[in-house]
Amino acid sequence: MLDEPAKIDLAEWDRRYSEMHLRGLNEPDYGGPIGRHIAEGDHRLSSLKFDNSPAALRLWNLLLTEEQRLFEAKKRGKKLVGAMKDLGTVPVMACSFETIVPFYPDGAWWSPCITELSDELFKAADSIGIDESFCPVRAVLGAFLTGDCFPIPDRLICSVGATCDDFSAIAQRVQALGHSILWWEIPHRRNPEPDEKSVRLPGGFNAPACHVEFVKSELSRVAVSLEELADEKLDNEKLSRGIKKANVVRRCIDELRNIVFTARICPLPAMEMLVAEMLAIHFCSDLRETTMVLRGLLEEVRTRAKSKQGILSPDAARVFWVNPVADLKVMNLLEDCGGRLCGTEFLFTHALDIIPEDIEPMDALAQMALSDPMVGSSADRAKRICSDIRRFGAEALVISRIPGASHCAVEGKIISNIVRRRLDIPVVEIEVPPVSDSLQATLRTRIEAIVETVKKRRIK
Amino acid sequence: MICAGIDAGSRSIKIVLLDSVTQKGIATDIADQGVSQEKIARELFKNLLRKNKILKNDIVRIVATGYGRNIVGLVDTTVTEITCQAIGVGRLNPDAKTIIDIGGQDSKIICLDGKGLVRDFAMNDRCAAGTGRFLEVVASRLGVKLDSLGGIARKSKSPALISSMCVVFAETEIVGLLASGAKKEDIVAGVQSAVAGRVCSMAGQNIASPVIFTGGVAKIRGMDMALAAAAGKPVRISPEAQFTCALGAAIIAANNGKTL
Repeated sequence: MLDEPAKIDLAEWDRRYSEMHLRGLNEPDYGGPIGRHIAEGDHRLSSLKFDNSPAALRLWNLLLTEEQRLFEAKKRGKKLVGAMKDLGTVPVMACSFETIVPFYPDGAWWSPCITELSDELFKAADSIGIDESFCPVRAVLGAFLTGDCFPIPDRLICSVGATCDDFSAIAQRVQALGHSILWWEIPHRRNPEPDEKSVRLPGGFNAPACHVEFVKSELSRVAVSLEELADEKLDNEKLSRGIKKANVVRRCIDELRNIVFTARICPLPAMEMLVAEMLAIHFCSDLRETTMVLRGLLEEVRTRAKSKQGILSPDAARVFWVNPVADLKVMNLLEDCGGRLCGTEFLFTHALDIIPEDIEPMDALAQMALSDPMVGSSADRAKRICSDIRRFGAEALVISRIPGASHCAVEGKIISNIVRRRLDIPVVEIEVPPVSDSLQATLRTRIEAIVETVKKRRIK
Repeated sequence: MICAGIDAGSRSIKIVLLDSVTQKGIATDIADQGVSQEKIARELFKNLLRKNKILKNDIVRIVATGYGRNIVGLVDTTVTEITCQAIGVGRLNPDAKTIIDIGGQDSKIICLDGKGLVRDFAMNDRCAAGTGRFLEVVASRLGVKLDSLGGIARKSKSPALISSMCVVFAETEIVGLLASGAKKEDIVAGVQSAVAGRVCSMAGQNIASPVIFTGGVAKIRGMDMALAAAAGKPVRISPEAQFTCALGAAIIAANNGKTL
């Protein structure tokens, strides 16, 4: 750590970068000042405030260079697998092969925000009838049309069944464009009937054993497809190695969450935490660098927490956040309003849980796939949220809706009612579009109000 | 010593001057909101002081609230309208448990803990269906004045059913109802009921009595009855309903910017 922890704007970061560079900053080959990404179209960066640590610099550079790394991997003869919709299972299988580089084309949902719509991905999706009434993940369709965000994968593998309608419609359009997709089915997670054999899933939910068997058989089809692509067999030993690699990332993120969400003084901004947590699914395109980035962040927050240093006032309101935001500016806004992040549920909590290493690997992956919050009910999500709110000591809940997204039309109501009833903490629902500039005032009012409410309740 | 609360709402700016020692109200004023919000607020403030022969130096603290609170430059601090309404309504209605605030641009339900503290709140989203804007659109479409809506609605024997949750589509429905010969009073009563239903649905089961109705829309007759029907419990209009938020801001100013 070179200086006191702080949040700084892009201009300051670039000045700081020059100084750090002169002082001999050690960087990977994708390093450089964050400001250089503006020239590549990432205009949103100029209105954000960033953590000032070298670890955060590395995180941003990793995030903003995935596209180049994928193109380079393709050039080197690696096989690219695009995992779609399922968050956390197929990439674990794919990264068990040395010759395959998996990634999530779905990650393109974030591009319209970061480029402030200059990428024209939404326009491209509009042109074939997938308009703003759909989830912003429609940007992925635009990416397939323009070919700008990522190389066209050698294989596309998409989960279907208990997945959202929007994504299924979008993925079908991708297929209609001529990109062949291997579909695998994930059933809706339900509680086992009294006479059914039950399996306790990682994350605490139960599922009928027959569902686990079914998902296993679906994942076996995925495995065969990957074997064909890699031209090598996927045995249990290889799969176990893939699981172990994924668990290294998950353990790092778990420790990061623990430190950041429970430290008396918040040691890392909400925006960097959101990006870091996203690595639980996006690690797969560069596992080695992801691990390095997370270890760097961990070292930074450990040091800050130990020395009681942070980037926010100790009295910041402790807020649990549900659903990821496309517009990262809103994470800055939370802190500008006097809040801090103390727990998250970004729709992939199952990808944060450790994959069991003491059972047959395919069983473990099937169980993880069924633990996905998006394949169960909103009430299930609420239970997990309540448990994590208690774990991290959050004092309020923000449920951030994504316009057009339809994981469950009334999830906000269900989650807020359950959290209010069980925990009696204030809850506010907000809606965050991919570029939220025109809504900053109304978003600010809601977030400031919840911060004021928390602080008054403390005095009481 | 005098304190001021400025509520820069979406439709109007309200100011309350308060004696910071006795905490008694000294004066209030209101002006329509416009493009130059900062200028309107300054002019309103200046005129209010002049009319009441108060010098600017006599004002020890100013707190702004409302949607435009960060645009009003002459203030010491800003506080959200949620907190200000709770304090302002609580001062005038100490028994309040639930506040329904319907303004020009948004609506809120604020749940209090019985001691005047906010326990929880809900706000409408970007849609204008549960706000005063809906009533304005209806008044304009029917060619009547906004403040006459309550009188018109009282004549209704069979309120129309407005099914749309969107003001723009609801306006289309109203055109259709007019074309099919529906009476004005039935349309107005139907719209009041739709607004009330929309507002109360935000709260779910969270409406505890006594329920206090405040905000600019509380001045429209009949809305309290529509809300009572939707909430299934009596609804009382707060005294000084248009000024409760500014009053809350003035009370906070009198407490040196503290919200308690």
